[in-house]
Order: sequence, then structure tokens, then C-alpha cells
Amino acid sequence: MKNRIIYFLPIIVTVFICLFFFFSLSNDTSKLSSPIIGKEVPEFSLVSLFGNKENFNSSVLYSKTPKIVNIFASWCVPCRAEHDVLMLLSKLEGVEIYGINYKDDPIEAKNFINELGNPYINVGIDEQGRTGIDWGVYGIPESFIIHNGKVIYKHIGPIHISELDDTILPILKDLK
Amino acid sequence: MAGSMSLTLSFVATFSLVICFAVSLFQMRYFFSKYESVIGNHFLLSMVQLISCLFSFLILIYVFLTSNFDFQIVYSNSHTEKPFLYKLSGTWGNHEGSLLMWILILTIFNFFYAISNSSDIKLRNKIIANQSFLILGFLSFCLLMSSPFILLKEDVSQGLGLNPILQDPLLAIHPPVLYVGYVGFSLVFSFAIAGMLNNKVDKEWASALKPWILIAWIFLTLGIALGSFWAYYELGWGGFWFWDPVENASLMPWLSATALLHCIIVLEKRDTLQSWTILLSILTFSLSLIGTFLVRSGILNSVHTFASDPGRGLFILLFLAIVLLFSFSLFASKGGTMEKPSSFRVISRESGILVNNWLLLTILFIVFLGTIYPLFIDLILEKSLTVGPQYYVMTIAPIVFLLLIFMTITPLVGWAEGSINQALAKIKYSLIFSLTLAFAISLYFDLFSITQVIILFLSFSLIVTTFFSGIKFSKNNFFIKSILGKTLSHAGFGLFIFSVIANATYSEEKIYDAKVKDILELQNHQFMFEKVNQVEGENYNSIQAVFSLLEDNKAVKQFTPEIRFYDNPPTVTSETSIVHGLFSDMYIVMNVPQYQDSISVRIHVKPFMNFIWLGVFMIIVGGLFSIIYRIKS
Repeated sequence: MKNRIIYFLPIIVTVFICLFFFFSLSNDTSKLSSPIIGKEVPEFSLVSLFGNKENFNSSVLYSKTPKIVNIFASWCVPCRAEHDVLMLLSKLEGVEIYGINYKDDPIEAKNFINELGNPYINVGIDEQGRTGIDWGVYGIPESFIIHNGKVIYKHIGPIHISELDDTILPILKDLK
Repeated sequence: MAGSMSLTLSFVATFSLVICFAVSLFQMRYFFSKYESVIGNHFLLSMVQLISCLFSFLILIYVFLTSNFDFQIVYSNSHTEKPFLYKLSGTWGNHEGSLLMWILILTIFNFFYAISNSSDIKLRNKIIANQSFLILGFLSFCLLMSSPFILLKEDVSQGLGLNPILQDPLLAIHPPVLYVGYVGFSLVFSFAIAGMLNNKVDKEWASALKPWILIAWIFLTLGIALGSFWAYYELGWGGFWFWDPVENASLMPWLSATALLHCIIVLEKRDTLQSWTILLSILTFSLSLIGTFLVRSGILNSVHTFASDPGRGLFILLFLAIVLLFSFSLFASKGGTMEKPSSFRVISRESGILVNNWLLLTILFIVFLGTIYPLFIDLILEKSLTVGPQYYVMTIAPIVFLLLIFMTITPLVGWAEGSINQALAKIKYSLIFSLTLAFAISLYFDLFSITQVIILFLSFSLIVTTFFSGIKFSKNNFFIKSILGKTLSHAGFGLFIFSVIANATYSEEKIYDAKVKDILELQNHQFMFEKVNQVEGENYNSIQAVFSLLEDNKAVKQFTPEIRFYDNPPTVTSETSIVHGLFSDMYIVMNVPQYQDSISVRIHVKPFMNFIWLGVFMIIVGGLFSIIYRIKS
């Protein structure tokens, strides 16, 4: 009769596995664990890409209106792909996009914006990529949503148009 | 607002599914003993189930082909400029559509089972009832939480498009083939349930079940192979298997199905191992369900995952739990009563097959652990952990050693009682031949390690011995001998393992910053960077680099790796360019150009790639031969 216990083993294993799956379901693994989320933005002051504007300072980001900081470069092809989406986003009411031009030639960067349009309120030049390191960039484009000087959300890679509706806009809406 | 045409289509399609739901509910009456011996009109009712699902699936295809953006699913996954084939494959390239396809395949299997020959009325009734229960479960999921026929509230004129990386002819057929495999095991599962309910698991039961296992197994193998073939050609990472959780999710049912395929032979021939067969049947289908759960619940991150939704995950989990708890409780309540007293010695073919079963399940356990453990750690310790290929290779390799040894010897040992000495005597020349060959190959590549030689020797022995014994047995009446299928599959497996090992050992890759007119070298091959072109494709633009392979300073082959820029949705993909040789593949991948004067390219030389595919092909064809033999006799 001792043998019969073995026949119950599958049930026990099943219960454990199902419970485990159940708890995993409520555990959101899709969150990108970035140490920067929830923290204050790193301090920086970058020369503006647009000659007539003042420096792009971290102090600008301490504001009640949420801001998007987009890190891009003219040599980065996915940035080119993303640009249309940024243009679309910049036309929406109450959306303010700032850019950090990462490890790029400022002249190329200007051509890039002249050619594809300018979604940015201001763009800081980060030729050496130092500010990028402070932001924890590991592949551009990357975009951050900032509210009251705090990083709320980080998006790695080009923002796809469907992600606007699914994630970016709802977050902005919540913040307002 | 959606037009009246769309409203009608949506309504008709949904209604058609409701009909299928009702019929399936009705068919479940056979679970009750009152109906178990009634001869019902299975042909008609299973036909209704099939046609109602097929009809609504055709409507879905129709709205995709006509780019009807009133439908949410079309809007999210299609685009007017997409080529015809990808509009079609867009139908099942998303969660809702693929679920409907899954249900359609369920009804197809149900139909073909209903019209197949069977003398056992009770068995058939119970199986139909159980299949209908499964159809019902998935249909509820489809209708309640994942309907593909939901209309958009807004007016839109254009869709969002399909991920270009998925726009590949192979990927258009990879999911359906894989689903046929997964869903095929539902029938195997129903056989197990029906067998337990009727207390009749015997030789006859096994004979009726075996062809269905074979069919599902062939499709599953083919589906996995197509996916891996695609990964090799499209992703350009230089590999064909990445131990990605979703790949693992398809490998797990394959491993348990392969074990099942062998132990059903024991049951059919020797009338023993009843409980074990039942357990494997349930396990295989459960693993198919778990695969579905992992892909669709969003608890895994992978190229394969559909848009995640915890609600959907919960539903599948609940269904999984019901199915598993019900079937395992039944299994436990039967206990050992199904088991017939067995009489085989330690050294016999039965033992050999059982040992191989255990080896396969050990691999399954390793894969399961590697897939689940990171999730577990994330849940308990909130740390992220990555399990790399190294883990799988290191742990699975020794088991493959054993597997090869047992695969070589087992078929030569007699049923019930055999002798190892006799078996070895039969194959001693093959063994010597294989050993020589293994040494020769190692010497040729000038890479010499004991492990390599051993595993090369073992895989060669498997190929050589199975072929020799196979040919000996089937001298007369070559094509309809059952042994031919086995011979091909086993030798194919040997070839597969051999090529995988040789490929892993002798492959090389190198990264270059190449300027035009540079000559790059790798493994005695010379590659000349000729020029850069701009190419306009059907729905993309691309930059193409042209390389040629030089032999005696003459260009013999051309490589054209590309970077493609798609507009809808805006995406960049890198297209690998491969030149196939009989003994080795060479390929070049380029990076997105970042500098003015040079581009960064990666060159791979991969020997024995063709033999990997040939091995898999032989495994599948072997399965086909076994089926043909079954049908003929």
C-alpha cells in the first residue's frame, strides 16, 4: 500500500506549480528595474543646441507639469524611426519634450532636426556622453518621464506609436 | 463608428462560435454513464463543431485580407500596405487570432477522431466528451476575454502594422504547425482520461492511441524545427537555439511526447507500463497548456510573448488547474489498479526504453528548472537572474551521452529477456568503424579533446548501428517495414547530435570594421568588401553591403547583408546574408552604420549546419514512415 502514495505525487506537484504561477502572475516582471526610477534627476547644465536659447539645466525639470526627456543622436537609426512619434507627441497639449543630444556632432544634430522637425523645447549638447552616464543610459534612444524633478518612468528603445496610447499617455494623464 | 457590414460580420462570427459552444456542451453528456454506450451521431455533431469554428475563422481571415479597420484586432496588427501573405498570417500573429486558430485545430482533431475507425464505443464516447470539454474551455476563454471580433469605437483609416521581424514566410507557417502539435496532444490526453474512466488501458487502447501520438509528435517536431530554422536565418545571432523560455516551453512537451512515443510501444507489445503511459499522456498535454500559459500570461519576457494581460493569465491558469487536478485525482484514485503484472528482466528492451524515458524526463526537468527558476527567484528574492545556455549545455550533455549509449544498444536487445553480450557482438564492427571516424574528424579540424571524441564516437555508433540493423531487417519489402521509420529517426537523432557538437566546436566568428575594398579573412576564407547599395523593397528601404567570397582571387559567391528601415511601424532590422556550402555555412551580418568611412560587420563560419537540419528532417520523415506503415497495415 506504501506504493499508492506515489500516485498522489502528481497532485501535490500540480498544486505547488499552480500556486507558484498564481503568485508570479501578480508579480510584475515586465517592470524594467532601473535604479534611477523614483529618484531625483541627476544634476546637469548643458549648452543648448539652439544658439539663441539658454543652457538646458536640471532645474527646469523641477516643475508640476510632467516633462519628457529624450536622449538621442543623429547617428542612431532607431532615433530616426522614433522621431515621427516624438513629433506627434509634441503636438499634444501639455506635453513638453526636452532632448539630450548624446555623443553627437552638433552640426549633424542640427541637420537632423532641421530635416525631420523639432519636437523639443530645448536640447542640451552632451558631446562626451557624461550626462548620459549619469542618467544610466545603455542604448539610445531612451526616454524618461519626469515630474517634480523625479524620474517616474523610463523607456528604452524607440517609442512605438502603440506605446503612446498604452503607456506614455496614461502616465502623463495620471500625473496631471 | 463601425459600418453595418462590420457589425454583421462581427455578430455572425460570434454567433457561430456560440453554436459550437452549445454543441460542445451537449456532447459532454457522454461523461455520464447513462449515455456511455449510446451510439451517437458523432459525425454530424463534430462536423457542426468544426464548421462553426471554421466559418468564424474564415470571417477573421476575410476582415484581415480586406483590411477592415473597424475590427480592433485588424487595426492593431495589420496595415493596408502589407503584402498579401502577411495580411493572411497577421490573422494568427496575435493573441486573439491564434487562440481562435487553436480552437479550430481542436475541432479538426475532434472531427478526424470522430470519423476514424473504432470498435470501442465507450472509449469513443468518453473521448468525444473530453474533447468537447476542452473545446468548451478554450471557447469560453475566447468569447469572454479574448474575442477577436471586437469592433473599434473610433474611425481609423490605417492600421498599426505587424512587427517586421515577424514578416517572414516561415513565420507564417511556424505557429500553425506548432499548434497542430500542441493541440494534437489534447486527443492523447482525452485517451488517457477515457481509458481511466473506462478502466480499460490495454494493448488495444495503445494501438488506437499510437498513431495520434505520432501525428502530434511529427507536427510538434516540425513546428519547433521551423522556429529554430527561422531564428537561424532571420535573427542573425549565429545560433539556432537560444534556450529562450518560450523555445523551452515547446521543447518540454516534445521531450515528454518522445518518452510517451516509446513507452506506448511497450504497452502495445507487452501490455505493461499502464500507469506510466497514462502519466506521460497527461504530462505532455499539461506541458502544452503550461507553454500556452507562459506565452500568454505575460509572466515571461521574450520575443514570443503576446501583449500581456494578467486577467487572461488567470483564466488559463484556472483552466490548467482544473484540468490537471481533475486528471491527476483520477489518476491517484485508480492507483496501481490499471497496472498489469509485468515480467521482464533487468536486461531487456523494456528496461532500455524505460531508462531512456527517465533520461528524457531528466532533461525535461533540467529545462523546466532553468525556465522557471528565474521567475521563482524574482518572486521570492525580488532579484533578476538569467539562466544562460551554459547551464543547459553543461547539465544536458552528460545525459545525452547516456541517451546515445542506450539508444544504440536497446533496439538490439530482445523483449522480456535479452543479452548485452549478444547485442555488442552484433555491432562490434560498427563500433570500431565509428571510433575511427571520430578520430579522423578530430584530426581533420586539429582540435582534440576526449569529451569531443567520445560524443562524436557515440553519435556515429548510433547512426551506423541503426542503419546496419535497419537495412538488415528490411531487405525485403523495404518501404512498408515498421523498422524503417525507427531507423531513420534514430539515425537522424545521432546525426543531429553529431552535427550540433561538431558545429559548436568548430564554429568561428569575428567582428571587423570594414572599409570598401578591404579583404577580410576567417578560417582560410577571404571576403572582399565590394560596395554599398541603397535598395527599395516592397514596404521598406535598405542599405545593402556587398561582399564577395574569394577563391584564388576570383569572386565565387556574393553576400548582401542589409539594414532595413520599415515605416509601419517604424523599425530597423538587420538581414543576415548566408552562403550555404555542403559542409559549412558562412554568413555576414552588418550593424547599423555609425561612421562615415567604415561599417561594422560580423563574419561567421559554421560547419555542419546542413547536417543539423538533415538530422531533424530524418527524425520527422522517420515519424512519417511509421505513420504510413500504421495506415498500410
